[in-house]
Amino acid sequence: MAPTTSSSGFCRCDDHAFLEICDYNVVIVADILGSFEQAVLLAIVRLDDGAYGRAILNEVEMRLERDVAAGAVQATLERLERKGLVRSRLGSGTPIRDGRPRRFYTVLAEGLRALNDARKTHESVWRGFPRPLKGRG
Amino acid sequence: MPNPPQAAELILRALLPADARECVSGDLLEEYREARVPSAGQFRADLWYWRQVGGIWLRAYWWLVAPVVLLLAFFDTLNYVSSPLGASFGLPTGLPFAVQPPLVAVGLVASAAAYGSWRTRRWQGGFVAALGVSAILWSFAVVWSNATFYPFALRAQSDPQWIAAWHWSTEHGHAPRSDTFLNWLYWDNVGSLIIAGLVLLVTSFVCGGVGAILGEVMSHRRRRP
Repeated sequence: MAPTTSSSGFCRCDDHAFLEICDYNVVIVADILGSFEQAVLLAIVRLDDGAYGRAILNEVEMRLERDVAAGAVQATLERLERKGLVRSRLGSGTPIRDGRPRRFYTVLAEGLRALNDARKTHESVWRGFPRPLKGRG
Repeated sequence: MPNPPQAAELILRALLPADARECVSGDLLEEYREARVPSAGQFRADLWYWRQVGGIWLRAYWWLVAPVVLLLAFFDTLNYVSSPLGASFGLPTGLPFAVQPPLVAVGLVASAAAYGSWRTRRWQGGFVAALGVSAILWSFAVVWSNATFYPFALRAQSDPQWIAAWHWSTEHGHAPRSDTFLNWLYWDNVGSLIIAGLVLLVTSFVCGGVGAILGEVMSHRRRRP
């Protein structure tokens, strides 16, 4: 089906499983990183050698400016590891943790690539719009 | 050093898979002691800890509970909108239909227990899953039956079986003779909810125990090369 251009400049490709924006020649595929996954991956990059569960949780909370459930961060880390975007290793415990070990995370090359792709897509989608966006309503 | 509530700590450790148990509980303990208690006090820090444990439970098991809750709500809604004289929309009626929701609940509790102990590789994990599922099903029943009491009463007041049950209760001393139908129906509902809660609790222990042991056996088999 040929794309039809709307008044806003966007194309509608109803028979495709993805959204195509003709102006910028960008294709957003369905399995792109979610915004929370991006926040967690970026937290790991920022924290570098100190990226373990609690530090990542605090970093994500600070960047998103809201309370985040530890379970949400944990589930995301497990998913990212299953996808092969991060790797983890066990570190030693401390007295405040009653000696329980820390799990440190590192972003792999595939993870960095996914982050760069997500950023590129994000920037392309927003290019040309004034900030803040103003609607007619 | 301050400690989180012991029950919450026990549930958390039973809830986490073997490879995440020490690290995740350590992360929460560190955050609790180093940040939450000093900034918010013990009580609010305890609430925060319970919230985290609840969140971890929901993330692990919501997909098991949500479809069943929606299904029960859907069938119950169809019940309300059927004809006042009892004719339904072709749904099965009578005893087989009446035993379906309890059977679904028992099956769900046993499945949750088996999955929980398989996932955590401990029978305690299955037990926590079963108890949580029962608590959610019961909470749903309480909220749902109160929210839909009025349409339920509207339908029941013209159902000969409910009228007969009301007469039987008042004549045999189970309810005051002067009891109105609406009042009788309300307390009948409350009684049903209490019985349902007890049945679910027993189910959690029996089916949860069986399912938990089954799940642990399966997880041991999984570990073999």
